[in-house]
Amino acid sequence: MLFAFYLVVVTLGILSMGFQLLASRLLNPYFGSSIIVWAWLISTFLAAFSIGSMTGGWISNLAPAPRRRGQLAGIITAIASLAITAAFGRTLLSQIEMAITDVSTALLVSCLGLFFLPVTALSSFGPQCVQFLASRGTPPGKASGIIYGVSTLGNIGGVMLTAFLFIPHFRVSTLLYVWLGVAIVSLASLMRLLRAPTSP
Amino acid sequence: MTLLRLSFLVLILASIRAFAAAGDFVENYDTIYNSLTVEKRGSIVELRARARGTYALESAVDLSDPLQLVVPYTRSLYAGLFFQPKPDRVLMIGLGGAGFHRLFAASYPDALLQTVELDPKVFELCRTRLGFQPTERTPVAVLDGRMFVKRDRQTWDWIILDAFRGGFVPPHLKTEEFYRECAARLGDRGVFVTNLHATSQLYYSDLKTLQAVFPQVVLFETAGRGNVIACAVMYKDPIVTDPKNWPTTGTLRRPLFVDRLDLDTIRREHIAIPTLPRSAQLLTDDFSPVEFLDTVKTNNTGTR
Repeated sequence: MLFAFYLVVVTLGILSMGFQLLASRLLNPYFGSSIIVWAWLISTFLAAFSIGSMTGGWISNLAPAPRRRGQLAGIITAIASLAITAAFGRTLLSQIEMAITDVSTALLVSCLGLFFLPVTALSSFGPQCVQFLASRGTPPGKASGIIYGVSTLGNIGGVMLTAFLFIPHFRVSTLLYVWLGVAIVSLASLMRLLRAPTSP
Repeated sequence: MTLLRLSFLVLILASIRAFAAAGDFVENYDTIYNSLTVEKRGSIVELRARARGTYALESAVDLSDPLQLVVPYTRSLYAGLFFQPKPDRVLMIGLGGAGFHRLFAASYPDALLQTVELDPKVFELCRTRLGFQPTERTPVAVLDGRMFVKRDRQTWDWIILDAFRGGFVPPHLKTEEFYRECAARLGDRGVFVTNLHATSQLYYSDLKTLQAVFPQVVLFETAGRGNVIACAVMYKDPIVTDPKNWPTTGTLRRPLFVDRLDLDTIRREHIAIPTLPRSAQLLTDDFSPVEFLDTVKTNNTGTR
């Protein structure tokens, strides 16, 4: 069970940071790939990591029933927002580009509209994974270190695989749907794992 | 002994100063998009971009005769004349050091040469170090080239794409969708002129993408430089791929071209479109691994 748990943690790490590179390619035809684009993109992802972690920390301390509802809300948000980005991302970006003249404002709207919610929702599961380990006897500090260490390894994998394997060989639109599919499977698995009885 | 070494050092420094022409300089700039070097040697000022351990020559100007086309490929850009001999309205994406602009503006004083440059520092250096002063006939907009093409509703006789960032071409300026956006902005008998690097697999994908959009594409290879200038038009008739159908160079020549631009040489630079390998990929907004294709070198490598 722990193997499956860590596999999901790594996968979520891959999805988060790989998504950043996909996001850069999605923005590219509309806003180029300048430092301005990257500044807004990185800031959006960091803001999403921050708010997602805090939200996840809050959810992990709720009573079991509301916690499950919180987890379900996180999963639905992640999947729905990823689906919107995959299906309507280019259409929305095209409209934003034409409607907003100022590049920074257009980028802010684009990044918030298309990337903030999925990454916030995915990040909210980090603290809940820490809580999962802690509830099984791992000291909280150690649990936190393990989860963020494993997740960061996933982040590295996500960046490298996306940059050197996925983007050179597959369409961005195809990859966005792959991201959606993998998110559905991993989050459903995680939900199941988090519901497992607390005895080791 | 120390005094002797010191004297020797002073002597060397004095010699270097004596050899360096007055006013020569090398300056480095890290801009928000590029890492640039501006070097002045005598009357030549070069603008180079540092990338992949090299200093890619972006542009050069001879201040003693700013109308000279110092960088060879800028001469080949005039191949556009064979397809649209009256360039009254020209859009150039990528300013560089405005090496192309001076002769064009002087030879066609009534023409509009609108330039779009992404990097404001490049525009500043072009004015302060390379002596280019934009006028109302040669305006410069600081903006992403693709955004300009999308937002601007004007049509052009020539659209020249010459945008690089340190030897790299931004992927969004290489796609089928962008070429279609440019094609939609070409006037009647307009020509799209683009500077390609024939040194990597990206070249074949460039050609495949151009051919997917433009019914006729004609190539000119700048001798020994690895640059190929592609001229593309949106019509099938008349046929322009046969040089016999081009206007004679005599009718295209301008007085200021003398000793600066030989159109017969440009004409001889015409090459056939190579057979594209199966690996050539159509570049789209959805799939444009430009950076990766650009790292795979072809056999016909030249120096950039």
